[in-house]
Amino acid sequence: MTREISVTVNGTVYRKQVPVRLLLVDFIRDVLDLTGTHQGCTYEGVCGACTVQLNGEAVKSCMMLAVQADGQQVTTIEGLARNGVLHPLQKAFKEHHGLQCGFCTSGMIMNAEEFLRTNPRPTEDEIRHALIGNICRCTGYQGIVAAVSAAAEEMSAAGTPAKSGS
Amino acid sequence: MTTVEKGWIGARYTRREDLRLLTGKGQYLADLRVVRDPLVVKFVRSSVAHALIKSIDVSAAAKLPGVVAVLTGADIRDKIRPLPTPSTVPLLPGHYPTHWPLAVERVRFHGEPVAAVVATDKYTAEDAVELVQVEYEDLPPITDPEKALLADSPLVHPDIGTNVMFSMVLTGGLTEAEQAANKARVDSIFATADVVVKERFYGHRCGVMPLETRGAVASFDPEAGLRVWMSTQRPHIDRLVFSELFDIPQNQVQVSAPRDQGGAFGVKAPVYREPIMIVYLTKLLGRPVQWIETREEHLMAVSQERDQIHELELAADKQGRILGLRDRVIADNGDSCEGVFWGFIMPFYGAALVPNAYHIPDCDISITAVATNKSALSPARAFGSLPGRFALDRAIDMLARKVGKDAADVRRMNLITQLPCNIATGVHYDSGNFVGVWDKLVQHIDVPRFRQEQRAARAEGRYIGLGFGVAVHASGVASEALVPMEGQPGYGSATLKMDSSGTVTVFEGDAPQGQGHETTMAQIAAEILGLDPEDVTVRVGDTNNTPFASGTFGARGGSYTASAVAMAAKAIRDKIVKVVAHDHKLEPDPAHFRFEAKSIWHKDRAEALTSMAGVCNRIIMKPLDLPAGADASLEHTAFFEAKEPMMAFSAHAAIVEADPASGEFRILRYISSEDVGRVINPLIVEGQVRGGVVQGLSNAMFEEFIYDENGQQLTSSMENYMLANAADVPNIEILHADTPCEHTPLGTRGMGEGVPGPVPGALCNAICDALEPFGIEIRDLPVRPDRVWALLQAARARAAG
Ligand code: FES
Ligand code: FES
Repeated sequence: MTREISVTVNGTVYRKQVPVRLLLVDFIRDVLDLTGTHQGCTYEGVCGACTVQLNGEAVKSCMMLAVQADGQQVTTIEGLARNGVLHPLQKAFKEHHGLQCGFCTSGMIMNAEEFLRTNPRPTEDEIRHALIGNICRCTGYQGIVAAVSAAAEEMSAAGTPAKSGS
Repeated sequence: MTTVEKGWIGARYTRREDLRLLTGKGQYLADLRVVRDPLVVKFVRSSVAHALIKSIDVSAAAKLPGVVAVLTGADIRDKIRPLPTPSTVPLLPGHYPTHWPLAVERVRFHGEPVAAVVATDKYTAEDAVELVQVEYEDLPPITDPEKALLADSPLVHPDIGTNVMFSMVLTGGLTEAEQAANKARVDSIFATADVVVKERFYGHRCGVMPLETRGAVASFDPEAGLRVWMSTQRPHIDRLVFSELFDIPQNQVQVSAPRDQGGAFGVKAPVYREPIMIVYLTKLLGRPVQWIETREEHLMAVSQERDQIHELELAADKQGRILGLRDRVIADNGDSCEGVFWGFIMPFYGAALVPNAYHIPDCDISITAVATNKSALSPARAFGSLPGRFALDRAIDMLARKVGKDAADVRRMNLITQLPCNIATGVHYDSGNFVGVWDKLVQHIDVPRFRQEQRAARAEGRYIGLGFGVAVHASGVASEALVPMEGQPGYGSATLKMDSSGTVTVFEGDAPQGQGHETTMAQIAAEILGLDPEDVTVRVGDTNNTPFASGTFGARGGSYTASAVAMAAKAIRDKIVKVVAHDHKLEPDPAHFRFEAKSIWHKDRAEALTSMAGVCNRIIMKPLDLPAGADASLEHTAFFEAKEPMMAFSAHAAIVEADPASGEFRILRYISSEDVGRVINPLIVEGQVRGGVVQGLSNAMFEEFIYDENGQQLTSSMENYMLANAADVPNIEILHADTPCEHTPLGTRGMGEGVPGPVPGALCNAICDALEPFGIEIRDLPVRPDRVWALLQAARARAAG
């Protein structure tokens, strides 16, 4: 069984006929070929590698069907840098060695981006708790936490709270 | 770009890999669009631990629209050569069970592949998996390695006739007579020692599951040969094995590890069943085939290591000086079907490293690896040595209590001071300064002050504790050790090619998975050739354009591969010097020339003689009037081989606060002091240490593969196989106490592999130290509040009793 859906992803409207059981993560990766969103567990919603934003809110795209995104706005890691300018989180992850293999990174950043909109000046402890839904196997989290903290500072200093994902 | 004062080697240079990974442009295996419409493979896996396969009914699955083929073990047993093959067998005396990619006649663990479904898409393939009906006749499950040693135990491999897959006694003796003499000496040391500690420890089954699972994509064309893309640490070994199994000449097999891999930590090193099946299927069906492992499959089939019992004894004098060690190690080897490693290579290596960084003159260590109905042990960071580290570092704290000394003092007294040395098991330690690394750690902590704080806290009813753990771990393994252990070479290799614009490409046959080789190898080549790392592109993991290499594992990169890159860069530099000297009528003495700022300088001239771009263009594109013996090639392949294995050293400390009422504990500080030789990039070294420590903490506190008494694996999801998250772990403080390695051209050492090893010991020692007034001793991993609580209850009952 298939259904036509219309989803806005990173600002572009996609109208596609999809099987009703297609997962959102597979729609993003296989139908739209946006492979920056990763899959680290199997329909468990535990690892967070598949995290994207739905109407600006971080969601695990392996836990949703593509048809549930019909008419909604999705932002993936590919949509975060604007006009070739990296988001402060992306810059801070590089500066603070917040990634090794990079497999968790897209999900981490999409989650952290929403978090910093809700809490622009977080403590270290708040950052650590905000990230419990994203597993990183390489870094020991320290570089990630430092990066989120540095990005928060940079964004607050610049007076540019992150835009809502759309 | 980082500004650099002293040169690229040692610079805190941010990584070349990061930009693409941060913008979603990484190319991991599942992201590759290298073949058209691949067929998708899913495996049907055994639902029982031990059984005969009575029948497999694939008819309903085969009829499902979109299903192309469904194969079982019976279909392939005469079509695919089984393992072992010559290149998958170590030169050690062990049993190497014959096995095919799919179970033939019987299943030996819950999760073993019994059938493969091939379909046009993964949803259909998954539907079809559900339709395959397997009828089993249960056999008694063998789940306890000690019971599996009893004479009346059923056998995992009846054709082998024993459950002992490997056993060895390590005393340092080479002949039977020497072994007997060494054992007798150890016996007499124990008979007369002032103090003996005798304890049984258990390091549970857990591993280092990477976030990206395994997978393979393959295509075959009789003209073009076999093409395989796979998530692997060792593409050249994979090529060898596919060639051997399918009778395709090696030069017709191309294996490529994707540029980006989502971690491996050892798991992607062995030769496993599934990729072999993928290659067979693409040959059989004449179409490209893809398999991306699910997380559930991963947790059923691989990533399981540790799982060793240690009956460890220490003999010491009244001061706490260790005189001898006995250890009876039993490893739960699982079904033992795993090319190259066979489960037992890890515990064997771990047993050889049991003495760790301590000077223990006489040892009698035995290792017995026992087959059970579980998944075969597969390599994991801290390769085989985590349970032994835990056991010995715990035993040393117990010894310290017996002799009435601070555990820190007993440790220091026993650290190896003479390097190089051969430890009692025969393993060679090349160089370093263990005591220097240690002193840096204890000075940083200020142990006497900590003891004061501890007393003050106790007076207020708070229980804080300090614990240590140490590890000598491999910086790669030289051929001399790797050939006997795995039948494979250990050298590092690299090809450097300069082009006519003066930029460099490095080709490396290893396959990194997050270690940052595109950055570190570029730093090395840039420093030697006077370029920027931006001028160096590093290509990895493709058997078609890289020299043979053993792969990325065991911290080989920083010692072996880095050395090969340095050697190749130096060779090219020498060649350029010859031409420049000739062109400028100067004496061709390399010491007179400097390569800096993308130009070549002479000691007597203020101006640069030529730019790198200029001279490269001149040599490659205008090869006229070259000095005698020179040609137009600016390409060089170097192989670096160490005569003896090299080692890195770390000393760790944990400070915890524990609650004697609930058994809960909290890590207040975790400090690591490391000697990794000359550091290529501190950012990357620190990342390796932090990640390794957190893996060790996660192993010690959360992760655990659980099999019930029927051999059912209960932890095949990340809900149940719990990993540490960001809120579970502390920041890791890192101290550098680096001694350049004498055996590599740059003084570097590989590091990173062994980091998790000392962590559980340090953590548990800290918990026991915190709760010292209650007299608990942790002997089993994992350590969790409920277990600490149970120990406290038992201790109270004893005290009351
Ligand atoms: S893939 Fe969605 S949470 Fe793991
Ligand atoms: S960087 Fe590898 S999982 Fe996070």
